[in-house]
Amino acid sequence: MSVMAMVFATIFNEDVKVFAVFLFAGMIPWNCFNSIVVQSSGAFINNEGLIKKIYLPKAVFPLSVSVGVIIDSLLSFVALFAIIIAVGGTFSTALFFIPFAYVLLFLFSLGVGLVLSIVTVFFRDMQYVLQIAMQGLFFLTPILYKSSALSGAVADFVALNPVVPYIELFRAPLTQGRVPDESVIYQAFVISLVAFLIGLGTLLSQERKIVFRL
Amino acid sequence: MSKITVENLSIKFRIYHDRSPSLKDYFANLFSGNRPAAYSDFWAVRDVSVEFRSGDRVGIVGHNGAGKSTLLKALCRVYESSQGKVRVDGRVAPLLEIGAGFHPEFTGRENIYLNGSILGYTDAQLRVIEPEVIAFAELEEFIDTPVKYYSTGMYMRLAFSLATAVHPDILVLDEIFAGGDAAFMERATARMHQMIDQANIMIMVSHDHRLVSSLCNRVIWMDHGRLVRDGAPDEVIPEYLGRGAHA
Repeated sequence: MSVMAMVFATIFNEDVKVFAVFLFAGMIPWNCFNSIVVQSSGAFINNEGLIKKIYLPKAVFPLSVSVGVIIDSLLSFVALFAIIIAVGGTFSTALFFIPFAYVLLFLFSLGVGLVLSIVTVFFRDMQYVLQIAMQGLFFLTPILYKSSALSGAVADFVALNPVVPYIELFRAPLTQGRVPDESVIYQAFVISLVAFLIGLGTLLSQERKIVFRL
Repeated sequence: MSKITVENLSIKFRIYHDRSPSLKDYFANLFSGNRPAAYSDFWAVRDVSVEFRSGDRVGIVGHNGAGKSTLLKALCRVYESSQGKVRVDGRVAPLLEIGAGFHPEFTGRENIYLNGSILGYTDAQLRVIEPEVIAFAELEEFIDTPVKYYSTGMYMRLAFSLATAVHPDILVLDEIFAGGDAAFMERATARMHQMIDQANIMIMVSHDHRLVSSLCNRVIWMDHGRLVRDGAPDEVIPEYLGRGAHA
């Protein structure tokens, strides 16, 4: 990630320190989202043996993976936070917003992960499709660049990307030392709620079929 | 009082003709007009109604593929019914496949807690039974070694000791296991008998007719997913064996 910071800071002609903080603040939520989605997509098929032999509430599998990723992400947050402070990030009361941002991010990622974990049971090649799709989504999310750098059709398209508000939730406190705009929080809240409910609905309607398709 | 009621239970499996379902094939077939039937239905259990009451020691017999194991798994909620209902009152201990859910990287002790939770034991219960499980499995020396370094026998001993540590209301057994040395087998068999004695309801699947005759007071004969006969062992087993010899 430091290499990434150096390379892209040069390309974008930005100060490495400023850019590193900017990049890391975007990478934290992205990595968390990406890992939860990719790992929970395999949650059921990786535990095929267990599911076929013993009854367990099906939600346990994607949930355990997601909680694992969140713990991982919190630890890497601490490490990156140290770097951010070292290269001149800002310390402010806005940082108290981060736990709240994590809750929203977790709900959103879990919702998406739940849907994909079930889709993967029905379509096994979804895992490979997903990896490529996530790579595409990475570049459609303003992580390496500022969303204001885009214009025209691409900007409109990126504005539809549901991951964007979450990047902003982390970036505002870490890079600018301020609580994110109310509209962004509101947007993220609605997306999290919708994603989580869709995930839960998919799980509840499909969980009885999973064992027959493994 | 434990009781299991099975009403008109049917379980349908879909047999897929393609190896494993993929998005690629799905889209390929979407645009080609002639879509071959992707699956056919197979009824593993069909319209079975049966009731198990306290004191029942049930043996299920039948040919391979008769739906015996599927019925057991339905009782343990692994398979949901396609039609009909299963109602279970009491704590079920499934001994379908012991050792399922062990994590190879974890030590024996950690696996007691991991697998114990999967089996439905509470944390407090596990703390109480932990020393007993270790002692019965004779693994005091190796309990803090990851189970991937265990021999097959050690692995089986630990799994068996844990699965049988708490006496359940309803005991469900599928093809009683092997493994462990002679001395352990003897103790395991003794413990098995003790568990069967103490369980409110015991349901087992076995191809060993002598075992079924000696342990059960009721035998169910299944064939092609249907319940053929239900009665005392000395009536059903000879009939099953007689029919089996002709078939």
